[in-house]
Amino acid sequence: MLQALLISNGLQGLDSYYVSSELVQYTTCLITKDFNPDLLPYDLLVVPNGSDHVAMLRIKDKVAAFLAAGKALICCDGFFTAWVPGNQWLMDNSRRTLDVRYVAGTDSYGLLANVNLDELNFSHGMSGWWACGYIRAAAGADVLLADTWQRPIVVLDEVSTPGRMLLTASGPLADVTYAGKSESAMVTLYRNFLHLISTETVSAHG
Amino acid sequence: MAKIGLIFNGVWSHYAVATAPKYRDLYELLYVHDLTAEAVADLEALAIPFQSNQQVLTEKKAIIYDFLAAGKKVFLEGDSSTAWLDAQWEDRPVNNYWWVDDPTNPPVSETNYDHPVYQGLTPRQACWHTHGVYTRVPESAEILQTNAAGDIITWQTHAYGGTLLATTLDPLVEHGVQQITHLDNYVDRLTYWLSDQQPSPDRMTIDAAAYGEGAVV
Repeated sequence: MLQALLISNGLQGLDSYYVSSELVQYTTCLITKDFNPDLLPYDLLVVPNGSDHVAMLRIKDKVAAFLAAGKALICCDGFFTAWVPGNQWLMDNSRRTLDVRYVAGTDSYGLLANVNLDELNFSHGMSGWWACGYIRAAAGADVLLADTWQRPIVVLDEVSTPGRMLLTASGPLADVTYAGKSESAMVTLYRNFLHLISTETVSAHG
Repeated sequence: MAKIGLIFNGVWSHYAVATAPKYRDLYELLYVHDLTAEAVADLEALAIPFQSNQQVLTEKKAIIYDFLAAGKKVFLEGDSSTAWLDAQWEDRPVNNYWWVDDPTNPPVSETNYDHPVYQGLTPRQACWHTHGVYTRVPESAEILQTNAAGDIITWQTHAYGGTLLATTLDPLVEHGVQQITHLDNYVDRLTYWLSDQQPSPDRMTIDAAAYGEGAVV
């Protein structure tokens, strides 16, 4: 079973999106003034939507060491500070959300299997609802999804560190949706990544 | 010089709006874990956005109430906790597609357009979606917005010295997100009310230099 550390800055309802299962055990780490978690006992670091990127910048070196040990990171948020090795999220509002469409790119591991892109493209007929801005991706990283203007929106980076990073341009991912459903595109993509690292990573907890 | 302190939970939408060229001279990011009375002493107003850390706000509530006691303004959006606020916020499902499914039934049905923040706004500019409701507010509170069920969306009180304006709307977070294109109207009115300074009338833009290594934190 994967051991995951879920970073929380105290947002209401966060725990309802990440519920432990036979695949993964979540431990929530609440950010405090003295935020300095020990990451190495975990297989996966989850930095969810709405996270504190001032706090993450303060542990940048620990995250780098964690990834250097071959561990995994999911950041599905706008990482506006420079704490993610090799990659940077940038906010941008110069394009119309009306025109946003996501296009599948390199997907070596089938992370987009059973992901219905229409769910990410449209919500109640509205486009541009899911991600914001784009990622300046590391050279050689896989761009799983790009937007209408070929800008990276979902990135799998196995080149910047010995570990694996799944990054979204602030597009939320979750282990369980708010309504408790598990079939949504956001959940499917997230769980596909969990399956990838659970089958190819030696768990720190055996 | 910034006049409004935006209490900052490290969230990107807070950062996007406070560092936008249009607003960055008016708002100062105040990282919540480093918040002190000294940091707010020279400011005229505080803004507490949705997606704030309610536990830390509770630990630091004396700073907020001392600020109000000095006759200043505090704006609170989104959720809140009874641990620091004499009001009961309750969660409700967010309906951000009402204008597609049922445009005649918005999440706010009554608005007091005499309030300075709401003067000149259209109904659409005064409500996009809500994050919950208030089922109890201080006895002194003036109700500014309600939904069709009569639940309270926006209220204000002068009971603590200055003015506390609270709403379950989320103008600062959503303006940072930039998926709703008309929010310059609300946020500009709010900013003027908080600071007595009018932002430029142009649409909000993003300064890419404020992201990554250039982040102002």
